[in-house]
Amino acid sequence: MKKGNLMFVLLLVFVLTTGVFAESVELSFYYPVGVSGPLARVIDQMTAEFTELHPDIKIQPVYCGNYNDTMQKVQTAVMSQDPPDIAVVEVSELYSLLAMDALLPLDDYINSENEDFINQYWEAFFGNAVANDQIWGFPFQRSTPVFYWNKELFQKHADELYAVGLSPERAPKTWDEVVQYADILTEKNGDDTEVYGLILPGGWNDWIFEAFVRQNESFLIDQENSIANFDSQEALQALLLWYKLTNEMHVSPPLRPWNMTITDFVAGDAAMMYYSTGGMPTVRKTANFDFEVAFLPMHYTYGTPVGGGDFHIFKGISKEKQDAAWEFIKFMTNPKNAAKWSMESGYVCVNKEGYDLPEMQEFMDDFPQMWTAANQLQYSYPKMMAVNYQQIRKIMTTNLDDVMLGNKSPEKALETMQREIQKILDMYNR
Amino acid sequence: MKTKGRLHTGYKPYIFLLPSVVFLAIFTYYPIYYSVRYSFTSFNLFSPKPVFNGFENYISLFNNEVFWEVVINNIIYAVFTIFPTMILALLLAILVNETKKFKSVIELGLFYPMLIPMAAAAMIWVFMLDPGIGVINKFLGLIGLPEPGWLGDDKAAIWALIIMAIWKNVGYFMLIYLAGLQNIPNHLYEAAEIEGAGWWRKHFTITFPLVSPSTIFVFIVSIIQSFKVFTQIHLMTKGGPGYSTTVLVYYIYENAFNYWDIGTAAALTTILIISLLFLVIMVFGVFGKKVHYSLS
Repeated sequence: MKKGNLMFVLLLVFVLTTGVFAESVELSFYYPVGVSGPLARVIDQMTAEFTELHPDIKIQPVYCGNYNDTMQKVQTAVMSQDPPDIAVVEVSELYSLLAMDALLPLDDYINSENEDFINQYWEAFFGNAVANDQIWGFPFQRSTPVFYWNKELFQKHADELYAVGLSPERAPKTWDEVVQYADILTEKNGDDTEVYGLILPGGWNDWIFEAFVRQNESFLIDQENSIANFDSQEALQALLLWYKLTNEMHVSPPLRPWNMTITDFVAGDAAMMYYSTGGMPTVRKTANFDFEVAFLPMHYTYGTPVGGGDFHIFKGISKEKQDAAWEFIKFMTNPKNAAKWSMESGYVCVNKEGYDLPEMQEFMDDFPQMWTAANQLQYSYPKMMAVNYQQIRKIMTTNLDDVMLGNKSPEKALETMQREIQKILDMYNR
Repeated sequence: MKTKGRLHTGYKPYIFLLPSVVFLAIFTYYPIYYSVRYSFTSFNLFSPKPVFNGFENYISLFNNEVFWEVVINNIIYAVFTIFPTMILALLLAILVNETKKFKSVIELGLFYPMLIPMAAAAMIWVFMLDPGIGVINKFLGLIGLPEPGWLGDDKAAIWALIIMAIWKNVGYFMLIYLAGLQNIPNHLYEAAEIEGAGWWRKHFTITFPLVSPSTIFVFIVSIIQSFKVFTQIHLMTKGGPGYSTTVLVYYIYENAFNYWDIGTAAALTTILIISLLFLVIMVFGVFGKKVHYSLS
C-alpha cells in the first residue's frame, strides 16, 4: 500500500515536471501608450508575430495606461514580490527601479551578441539606459520634443512676417524669433484669443522645460543624480521666457493639458507647438493643413532631451524567462520591427538599419517631417533621471503650472523646486 | 418595566456578534493597526524594508506646505458641501412633504442622482463642465454670467467638485429628512396654525428641533463622506491643477502608489483616522445632548 503511494507520487512528479518542461515560457509584458493612437493593437500584432517565430515563448502584453500608471503598476508589482517579466517604463524612472533592486543588467546579453549588434542602435538612446557602469534598459519607444508649425497660418501672416524680416517659409530658429513669430501669429478678437501663436504644453512641461535649459547649455539634475540645479541663471532665463510668453504677451495659453495641445494645433487654434515626435502620426492623419516639423529653436545652442520608454527585464524571475525576454527585446528592436513601430507611432526608429529598409524609405520620402527627430539626435542629451522621479516630476509640473497660471513668480518657483528636489536627491545619496 | 429576560443575558449575543467581529478585525482593525505601525517607519523607495524612525514622518508632514494645502482643501470641501447639502435637503424634504400630488415622482426625481454610479456621474460632469463644449458654460454665457475654466482652473476646480457633490448627495439626505418628518405629529402644526404661526415660524419652532435626530445622522454621515472623497477626484482632476483639488485620501493614494512612500502614506492615514474619530465624538458630544428624541 505504502509502496503504491510512493510510486504514485513519483509518477505524479514525473508527469508534472515533464509537463513544465514541455510547456512554453509565458512572459508578462507591461507597456504604456504615451501618445494618442491605436498603438495597443500594434503591440498585440507584434507579439503575435513573435510567438509565431518562437512557438515556445508566449508573450502576454498588458496595457497599463499612460507612463505614470504603468510605473505605478510596475512599482506595486515589484514591491509585492511579483514583478512583470518585461516592462517598458518612462526612461527617467531608471533610478527608482534600481533603488527597488528590480532590474537585471543587460551587459551579459549584449556582450554575448556579435560586435555589430550594438552598433545598429543610436548611441544617443543609451544615455538613459546606463547607470553605475552597467546597462539596465534597451531603447524601444524613444522620442524628443520637436517644434511643429502650421504652414497655412504662417502664410496667412506672410506680410506681417516679411515686414519684420522674418519668413513664412521657415520655423523660428532662436528664442527671440519664437517670441516674434508668436506675437505676429496670435489672433485676438477683443479679449478673446482666437488663435494662439504658440503652445507650451502642460502635463510634460518638465520635459519641455529641460529642453529650454539644455538650450542654455545647462542642466537640471546631474548625471550622477546628486545635484539639483534649478536655481541657476540659465534656468531662470528659460522660465522668464515662459512667463513672458504666457503671462505678459499672452501668446501661449496658460496651462494647456498635454493631450489637448495636439487637438488645438490640429484644429488650427494654435500656430506652433512644442510636442513629442510621438504626436506626428496623429497630426498627419487629422490636420487638414500642411504642417512642418523643425528643430527646437536654439538659444546658446540647440538642445533636446530624449525621452520615451525603454525595455527592462526584471530580477526575481527564472533564467528561462529572462532569456526569453531578451529574445523578445531583440525581436522588437530588429530593423524591421523598429521601423514598423516608428512608422505606426511616430517614435524615432531606434535601429539605424531600419532606415535602410525599402518600406521605411518610402514612408520617410512620403513623410519627411519624420527626419527632423532623427537629425535632431545630434543635439540630444539623456533626459534627467532620479530616484523617485514621480515625485520630482510632480514638484516640477505643479511649480511650472503655477508660473504659467501666473500664481507664482519664476524666481519663487525655481527656488521651491531647488529646495524640494535637492531634498529628494539627498535622501538617496545619504 | 423589567425586560430582563433570558434572551438578553449570557454568551449568546457574543456568539452572534462573532462573525462580524472577525470580518471587522481582518478587514478594518488589522489594517488600521498596520498603518499606525508603518507610520512610525521609513518605508519607501530609499528604504524598501520598514525602518523605525519615530515621529519623523509626522514632523516632515507638518513642515510640508503641500500637506497644509491639502488639509485646507479638504476643510473647504467639507464645509461647503456639508452645510449647503443639509440645508437644501431639509428644505426640499419640507416642500416635498407639503406637496399633495406627484409626491413620489418628485421624491424619485430628487433621489435619482444618488442611483447613478459615481464613476459614471464623474464622466458626465467632466463633459458638462468642459469650458468649450460643456452645457454649464453655454448656459452661464447665455445669461451673461462669467464662464470659469472649471476643472482646468486651479481656483474653480474645487468648486466644481463641491457643486457636483451637493447634486449627488442632496436627494439621499432629503429622504432621511422626509422619514424624520413623518415622526412629527400633525397636531403640533395644527395647534401652531390656530395660534397664528406662519410657515417659517412653524418650521423654526417645530420642525427644526424635532428633526434633530435626522440632522445629527446626516451631519455625521456627510462629515465622513467629505473626508473620504476619492472616486470623482481621481477621475475628474487627479488632484490638480497643481494641488488645488488634492484632498487627504487622494494625497494618501498619491504617496502610497505614485511615490511608493508607505511611511508617509501611513502617517497620513493615521492622522485622518484620528481626526475623523475626534470630529465624530465631538459632534456626538456637543450636539448629541441637544437632540430631541421624543416629545416628552
